Amino acid sequence: MKKSLFSLAAFVLAGLTVSAQEVKFEEYDLDNGMHVILHQDNTAPVVTISVMYHVGAKDENPERTGFAHFFEHLLFEGTENIERGEWFTIVSSNGGSNNANTTQDRTYYYEVFPSNNVELGLWMESERLLHPIINQIGVDTQNEVVKEEKRLRVDNQPYGRFIENVNLNMFNKHPYKGTTIGKLSHLDAATLEEFQAFNKKFYIPNNAVLVVAGDIDVPLVKKMIQDYFGPIPRGKDIVRKFPKEDPITETIRAKAYDPNIQIPAVVAAYRTPSFKDRDSYVLNMISNYLSSGKSSKLYKKLVDEKKMALQVGAFNISQEDYGVYVLFGLPLGETSLDGIIAEIDEEVVKIQNELISEKDYQKLQNKFENQFVNSNSSISGIANSLARYYMLYDDVNLINNEIDIYRSITKEEIQAVAKKYLNPNQRLILEYLPKKDD
Amino acid sequence: MKTKILITLFLLSIGVTAQIDRSKQPKPGPAPKITLQVPQEFVLDNGMKILVVENHKLPRVSYNLTIDNAPITEGDKAGTSSLLGAMLGNGTTNIPKDDFNEEIDFLGASLSFGSESAFARTLSKYSERILELMADAAINPLLTEEEFQKEKDKLIEGLKTQEKSVDAVASRVGGALSYGTKHPYGEFVTEETVNNVTLENVNAFYQKYFNPNNAYLVIVGDIDFKTIKEQVENYFGKWEKSIEVSTNVPTANPNVQYTQINFVDMPNAVQSNISLTNNVELKMNDPDYHSVLIANKILGGGFNSYLNMNLREEHGYTYGARSNVGADKYASRFSTGTAVRNAVTDSAVVQVLKEINRIKNEYVTDKALANAKAKYVGDFVLALERPQTIAQYALNIKLKDLPEDFYATYLEKINAVTKEDVKRVANTYFKAENARIIVVGKGSDVLTNLEKTGIPIKYFDKYANPVEKPEFTKPVPSGVTAQSVINKYITAIGGKDNAMAVNTVHSSADVTIEGAPFAPKADIKQMVPNKESMEMSVEGMGVLMKQKFNGETGYIEQQGQKMPMEGEILDNQKSKITLFPELYYDDSFKLSLESLTTIDGNDVYKVKIEKDGKTTFKYYNAETGLLARIEKTVTIGENETTSVVDYSKYSPVKGVQFPYHQIIKSGPQTIIFNITNVLVNEGVSDEDFN
Repeated sequence: MKKSLFSLAAFVLAGLTVSAQEVKFEEYDLDNGMHVILHQDNTAPVVTISVMYHVGAKDENPERTGFAHFFEHLLFEGTENIERGEWFTIVSSNGGSNNANTTQDRTYYYEVFPSNNVELGLWMESERLLHPIINQIGVDTQNEVVKEEKRLRVDNQPYGRFIENVNLNMFNKHPYKGTTIGKLSHLDAATLEEFQAFNKKFYIPNNAVLVVAGDIDVPLVKKMIQDYFGPIPRGKDIVRKFPKEDPITETIRAKAYDPNIQIPAVVAAYRTPSFKDRDSYVLNMISNYLSSGKSSKLYKKLVDEKKMALQVGAFNISQEDYGVYVLFGLPLGETSLDGIIAEIDEEVVKIQNELISEKDYQKLQNKFENQFVNSNSSISGIANSLARYYMLYDDVNLINNEIDIYRSITKEEIQAVAKKYLNPNQRLILEYLPKKDD
Repeated sequence: MKTKILITLFLLSIGVTAQIDRSKQPKPGPAPKITLQVPQEFVLDNGMKILVVENHKLPRVSYNLTIDNAPITEGDKAGTSSLLGAMLGNGTTNIPKDDFNEEIDFLGASLSFGSESAFARTLSKYSERILELMADAAINPLLTEEEFQKEKDKLIEGLKTQEKSVDAVASRVGGALSYGTKHPYGEFVTEETVNNVTLENVNAFYQKYFNPNNAYLVIVGDIDFKTIKEQVENYFGKWEKSIEVSTNVPTANPNVQYTQINFVDMPNAVQSNISLTNNVELKMNDPDYHSVLIANKILGGGFNSYLNMNLREEHGYTYGARSNVGADKYASRFSTGTAVRNAVTDSAVVQVLKEINRIKNEYVTDKALANAKAKYVGDFVLALERPQTIAQYALNIKLKDLPEDFYATYLEKINAVTKEDVKRVANTYFKAENARIIVVGKGSDVLTNLEKTGIPIKYFDKYANPVEKPEFTKPVPSGVTAQSVINKYITAIGGKDNAMAVNTVHSSADVTIEGAPFAPKADIKQMVPNKESMEMSVEGMGVLMKQKFNGETGYIEQQGQKMPMEGEILDNQKSKITLFPELYYDDSFKLSLESLTTIDGNDVYKVKIEKDGKTTFKYYNAETGLLARIEKTVTIGENETTSVVDYSKYSPVKGVQFPYHQIIKSGPQTIIFNITNVLVNEGVSDEDFN
């Protein structure tokens, strides 16, 4: 075994330069400020049409949380030329699929069609932007649907309020303290005029990026884009100003209860910088080092060797303004929650005090390379990445060279970042406990 | 070898117009041409079959190993296969566990095993080594006692994380009730069954089922056929063929005889999980298959299906409602699924039934049919973006005994489905009249209204065992006691004086005996303190049954056979107070107020009455004061029977309230009395009881 590993390391060094296929793209602005990115790939007769709007939960009025996500429902209700209830029929009757999703930072809509329906997709997205119908019947219906979505995904799910409680305790001023789904009472209280005003403010071409990717004829698609999106009037520029958080200097201790669980969980959470920050990339590597794969430090020690945890993990909630670095564990048998934290801490302290081994470093590089190759494997995935890198990272080229950032991160940097962010006085310890039956 | 098949697309195709008019929906461009690549194949001497799809778009390779055994029943050792799956891929007899896992991670690859499968993904530059590790782990697994114990603990603890999950319970109970717990698709893993499993069982499972005989390895990605063939022969060629296993797959439970709600109470639920389900006989190579796909697509196969448009878009009950039909080789179900807020559980059940009946009774519109077909065409095209699709199609043809041209003719067959086909197959496969509607939710919030749907309800625990209806109690208001409930009852029936004045009662009733083909009439006479007579007759057949008690002796006569009342039955009859026993409750009766609960949506007080070691429960309507139910358990010989009598439709005769509707449930039997006439102190004499 030793022998094979040795020869392998040599192989790795030799083979490092193999790269994924480069994603070629073309980008430009329409006169109304809408950004356009085109990516041509004719290997399969499939096209993705997507629009990302720079509006998420963090942009909401604090008394009207849930608006951004609510729009993700509302904007399927119909437009001046698409009757209420017809959106999904048009998509599926033309062989397409569509969906949308919302985060703290942005809202994303997309259609995937056989490539002969690219014009249809462009028409639909331009209709949604130009003149959606926002009326009381749509608001009332979607209000009920959103409530059910919350019950389904949050209230009825084991560990469904886990992240919510982390954010609630990590942020005091910044809107990241809330949830994307928002408070249902806010939605109930909202008037139709407020919804219409939100649309006017954020759903404007100069706050959006359109991506068309796949089996396309570029000049033809450019003309269609001009035809459908060109006449849409520019909106008023959006000014964003979010409050800054004070640094955490003392451990925050909190508890939360979940009626849907029997096994508790414990969380150590640290506030980290924006995902654009180089340190955020380093933290992604640390998460991977600690908990990805059976040979990772935390899994091997806590789950495999010491049998203290049923599950253990580390992940970086990466967002535009701040991130949250989360370490968590579910105890096995009699293990105490503090016992899990103590074991996790031991590994974090090791990263802070000594450099990770050369072999572990190489392992991380291999994993990120694998991730990178797989991240560009579908047309719809590429479309999403192009939109995201443009809108939130200000650098579309990351789709091809993000891997270079990881390659350039050194062992010393990993140590420094662990020292900078992952200290006990900078964190939240959350005990996530079963709620006893009444 | 023919490696590509050209498929005709049934998409509309009209030229692009030059000028845009945004009030009109754009027409599609010319239909794209698609080709269906066919994988290359070879077979090893040990029987393993390999399918290869070369695709060089990205520098990566995936390996997918499937062992095609018939489904396996694990019985009281359910969990054996889960444990094997968890233990495989953690080292081999040649490579220690830590080194093995370290190397997979080091290469940035992933490798995972199931009890009859394995999957690996890697960059193409490490593809040979990953194949080698996968083969070694499959052929020479490291199955140790230590790992076994560890995985067992994790499995048990993992079961606990799902213990309070409404969805997990719904899925378990759905399978168990539909297929039966003796069927591989119906059985489930519990802490108890996991504790029954030994390492020997896991080893035996591996030896018996993890073999190359029925193994298929699908390789997709950046590889060259000739090279990979040599590598597979090299690493998997040494896997030894085993004896063929013959597995008897038990028959699934038959469908239920009538539509019924199967309810599981979960007090933590904020939504009810509702699924209507019946078993179907459907396979992918059946002529009905494509029609069933289309019918299901229209009913609940997507966002704009009947179910979702009704429950989500029209009523806002749910985030989504869908339906699904399986076409498994061994056993399959049709099922609809949705999760709705507690308050609309009953309405959602009604709407689900409505939509199923709609597709069974009404032709779908031409537009809906065309849309459903277009969606299938689109999905077929979109799926081709993934090279795995081609491999999956080729594998399906082998695993599911499909004709070679199954996928080449797929769109053609989808396109041939008519609205008559849709209606016909909806009636064949969507058996609402023989379906279970499995509802998992918070009983105290939802049951009252579910009962009002009139659909019979059966109750089950979280492990699909039948249970009694759960009782949901509310706090008893202060000042209410057993005695005050009794007093209120006496006032409600008309007061003590009126009730005491009743000496005889003569009732006539129409009787329904559940399951019986005839509807008898009953003539019932009662006289204080305990005389009783009942005669049941059927028109044209005369008297079927007589039951008489004259205060001292009695008999039951059935079809000419007369049996005297004896022993316990006689004693019971003697000590019974026939009319309004509440009037006679004295210190020899021990009364206690048990709870405030509900029957058919009405609040009732449950009073426990004990006398001479016998216990009876009586339920009085909290609002009207009237008697709603009597529940008692009678032991005759060795048999214990619980009888429940429900009273309703009260109406006064000579100032006293009588229940005109009575439902008697005794053991498995249900008898309903619809009283047509009540005479008080008229036409009854002592002789009537002899």
